[in-house]
Amino acid sequence: MKVTVKSWTGVALWKWIANDDNCGICRMAFEACCPDCSFAGDDCPLVWGHCSHVFHMHCICKWLNSQLNQQLCPMCRQTWRFNDR
Amino acid sequence: MSCPAERRLRKELLELLTNPMPGIYIDEEKVAKNINEWIVTIEGAEKTIYEGETFQLQFSFNEKYPFDSPTVLFIGKIPVHSHIYSNGHICLSILTDDWTPALSVGAVCLSIRSMLSSATKKERPPDDMIYTRTCSKNPKKTKWFFHDDTV
Repeated sequence: MKVTVKSWTGVALWKWIANDDNCGICRMAFEACCPDCSFAGDDCPLVWGHCSHVFHMHCICKWLNSQLNQQLCPMCRQTWRFNDR
Repeated sequence: MSCPAERRLRKELLELLTNPMPGIYIDEEKVAKNINEWIVTIEGAEKTIYEGETFQLQFSFNEKYPFDSPTVLFIGKIPVHSHIYSNGHICLSILTDDWTPALSVGAVCLSIRSMLSSATKKERPPDDMIYTRTCSKNPKKTKWFFHDDTV
């Protein structure tokens, strides 16, 4: 039997590699976007802290910007420092 | 589309209804009417001085939740406790200065239940009279001093 492929459609699945399933701030899945965005993925990226906690970038920035004195990780209260991986 | 605060509250509600926490009961009817006002019943834990008693907490959320903490106070019968004023205001750092958006209704209820559980005697805060006469109606407007980490 000879099969001729007339067309094909590629399907890919992507997932963030993070040590948790959802953002501790908005509680949305990391693969979903933060509540202020409409598109997940590079448009609504994740960021890592030195303390190893992960959040949607928009969520953690919103929190840090609302803090006047010190900027602490919402999960462990250590001083928040971005980890550039 | 509902606002982010409401969406997070709906997630929390669903989670608390699917996996209830011991001694913590949500008034579903009230929440269904208005997602920004919750009434939660707290049962005094077994083998503590509040065993057999139940209390009600009122949570009010604004549109900045979870970046801004909820307003939480006891309503109805107020537990007699050294960090709970007779007007229902609670002196608990996570409700103001130490709030983080990683906290939740469940986490607050758990803290308050554990605060009750570790008490060894039923007494009002020493400044109850003066505080309740002079404070704002909103406990979040109080500048709290947290000095006792043992209870």
